[in-house]
Amino acid sequence: MNLSGYEALFFWIFGLAAIFAGLLTVMARNAVHSALFLISSLVSVAALFVLSGAEFIAGVQILVYVGGVMVLFLFVIMLVNVGAEERGRDEIFNSQRQVTASLIFCFLLVGGVLYSVNRGYQGLLARSDHPSAERIAAEQARKDQTYADSGTGSSKITRDSQSLGNSLYRYASLPFEIASVLLLVAIIGSVMLARTLKQEASADDVDPDLLKEEIARDPGLAKIEPQLE
Amino acid sequence: MLNFFSPTLALLFQEAERSRLGEMFYQTRAAAANPDLSKFLVIGALLFIIGVAGVLTRRNIIVIFMSIELILNAANLNFIAFSRYLSQTGNPNAVAGQIFAVFVIVVAAAEAAIGLGIVIALYRNKETIWVDEIDLLKW
Repeated sequence: MNLSGYEALFFWIFGLAAIFAGLLTVMARNAVHSALFLISSLVSVAALFVLSGAEFIAGVQILVYVGGVMVLFLFVIMLVNVGAEERGRDEIFNSQRQVTASLIFCFLLVGGVLYSVNRGYQGLLARSDHPSAERIAAEQARKDQTYADSGTGSSKITRDSQSLGNSLYRYASLPFEIASVLLLVAIIGSVMLARTLKQEASADDVDPDLLKEEIARDPGLAKIEPQLE
Repeated sequence: MLNFFSPTLALLFQEAERSRLGEMFYQTRAAAANPDLSKFLVIGALLFIIGVAGVLTRRNIIVIFMSIELILNAANLNFIAFSRYLSQTGNPNAVAGQIFAVFVIVVAAAEAAIGLGIVIALYRNKETIWVDEIDLLKW
């Protein structure tokens, strides 16, 4: 790995920013603040991706997470949040005993994970193929050779996206197709879940007994004609 | 960057260099100036545990979903760090870590869409987003 110079400085800045923004995500009282802190945590992690040479994943992270998923989160917060928590009436955490038990669990988890990371890393250091400093420099020089000229010829462009795309379509094309089916199922499922009773009635997709009950409560529903194509 | 300050630091710690504390300081400084795989793993582990704490302690179901995103993102950080490490050992399949990260992002997007659909449906029926008030399965 071995970042050095400015890379090391940026590593610490973005790493600490990711951790603190993550903590504030969990601790913020207002859900909108939580979402904004989560966005800053995700952007910091994207910067760490750039530092470790995964420019494509960093771009995808910002486009998909920050541009797509977080906008969806903010939209649902606007739709659902009744604003009780920022007025300070409701407790944002579970009851005292649950919080204590889960914090004890989390501290045990911190200890266990850090211990195992340390042990595992010691094992990696002891391996014969652990990259030495010369090895890393040689590998970096080999990588620098593969950089393409930019359009103006004044700078170099990484080929990270190209190699990732090659591997994705060559060795992981079946999982790639399965992922697209998964996304299709997710789209259909979320549309099905978020429909109102009125929309279900207009598609003639309600249990007749349930519809009768609801019409007794709200006579307007009876006027809806199922529009079947 | 730290090399820029090192003459000043060397003057400051010239005495301390001979002591054990000074030795420790120099070792820590050398480790901090060259973050390696283990530092990425530690940051990933801390993000993961912050996410677990959020899932276990918060009452707001939307914040619980955000904590799950934090957990998935920590896993991605580990994948990318190991991918970089493997590429430095000269492994030709090192890019596999980045492919895994792409799939994790896909699953996270699908999970967020479905989860938020469930939240909307739940809010329509129960008028609450507090997880301790959603107790239909409890008796």
